[in-house]
Amino acid sequence: MSNGGDCSYVIGQNAYIKLALHALNHKTSAVNGLLLGRLSGEVVEITESVPLFHSSQIGLLPPLEIALITIEEYYSSQGLSIVGYFHANERFDDPELGTVARNIGDHIFRYFSQAAVLLLDNRKLGALQNKKDSAPIMQLYTRDSSKSWKQVESSSRLTTKEPSANIVLLDFISSDKQNDIVDFDDHLDDISKDWLNLGLFK
Amino acid sequence: MVSKTEESQLQQLENQVENGGGGAWEYLSLVRKLKLRRSDKVLKHGLALLNDPKKRSALGPDEWNLYEQVATAALDCQCLEVAKDCIKVLQKKFPGSKRVGRLEAMLLEAKGSWDEAEKAYSSLLEDNALDQVISMRRVAMAKARGDILGAIDWLNKYLEIFMADHDAWRELAEIYVSLQMYKQAAFCYEELILSQPMIPLHHLAYADVLYTIGGLENLQTAKKYYASTIELTGGKNTRALYGICLCTSAIAQLTKGKNNEDKEISTLAAAALEKDYKQSSPDKVSLLASTLKTMKLQ
Repeated sequence: MSNGGDCSYVIGQNAYIKLALHALNHKTSAVNGLLLGRLSGEVVEITESVPLFHSSQIGLLPPLEIALITIEEYYSSQGLSIVGYFHANERFDDPELGTVARNIGDHIFRYFSQAAVLLLDNRKLGALQNKKDSAPIMQLYTRDSSKSWKQVESSSRLTTKEPSANIVLLDFISSDKQNDIVDFDDHLDDISKDWLNLGLFK
Repeated sequence: MVSKTEESQLQQLENQVENGGGGAWEYLSLVRKLKLRRSDKVLKHGLALLNDPKKRSALGPDEWNLYEQVATAALDCQCLEVAKDCIKVLQKKFPGSKRVGRLEAMLLEAKGSWDEAEKAYSSLLEDNALDQVISMRRVAMAKARGDILGAIDWLNKYLEIFMADHDAWRELAEIYVSLQMYKQAAFCYEELILSQPMIPLHHLAYADVLYTIGGLENLQTAKKYYASTIELTGGKNTRALYGICLCTSAIAQLTKGKNNEDKEISTLAAAALEKDYKQSSPDKVSLLASTLKTMKLQ
């Protein structure tokens, strides 16, 4: 398999919830994160995620490079590698995958050709309370043969591993769990803060 | 920009108020003074204060400031009914006030009635062309509508008049960064460094932008500004320390190690990072070591 054209993506509940909570913790800015996992046959298993940045300086290289090296180092000892990128836009009604996100996606693609880019779907997030849908509140983008990121329309190609992920997410939201999320930005401002968020799901 | 003491003071008050320990008015005043965006908390606690007649009258003339603060927070949280109620109270107390007129226009903005809001702001500006807050609303509206180039345009016009508004320069720089217009962002930070040379944040942001643009000269300049950030912060800025290491690594890669680059500063930076991590983040010390090793080998 040479591109992401055929595989499907399964995101573990914890990884999924972390990304959504991160976005909710910083409602007034864009946020992003890294997806960690492995390729298993024709499925990319996204088993972990690390929330990265929430400042308006998301387009700058230095913090991103530090994060990429550090996170790759950490997870390689667990047999996981960076398999994708998550992005949430600043504005509610902005459904486009911007150039910053595409560029970061391109970089990750160089190391993993089935890389996925997930974009937070704000409308789905807003409707979560009412709709009780089990589909992930993110849009999937993969790189096609034309070397650009295209949205994958078929909803079966991105699923959460646990079907109850959205219910658990709603639960976390109602107890304001998003306030506990630490991202890489927080770590750089205060290194005693842990971007691994180990205590989050205890 | 908020200092570290102010930040911790705010955090303390916020925790206190959130856990029912009182101090709502002090918290709200601090948020107001520092011009921070904490709309959901301001709405929650401000509204509680306003709905309590005893507490409200204890505020005296500050009551009206609170109505304004809560109205603004309500608009940010899309609680338009609450905002309308607050604005009505203010309209009654201060009929014909321009300040209340501004809130009315912001309500139109929150509703998405962009053209009406634009008309309202234009007429308010007719009487007072030098109103900074209203001029800024134009930028905010353009941004909210997704008209980023329009926002840049308005912001540049704003800066021609209010060229000492440092927050506006930062805002412009950040918009440029989001559009990957790094050279323009660099220009903004140069302006900021010229007018506020002792603020380390400007040096740091400038270094980050230069590194992002890339190229040997920019990397060397970025290294200098990371160094000045370290100097201005007494060595306490983790991002700048990492920045030095990144620059050294990138310069070595570009010149294939053939230049006489000052490696001492990056050794010092690495040592400083190791010391800080040992003290504050001991479980990440070995990870730091392998990260630094990767950068040197790159």
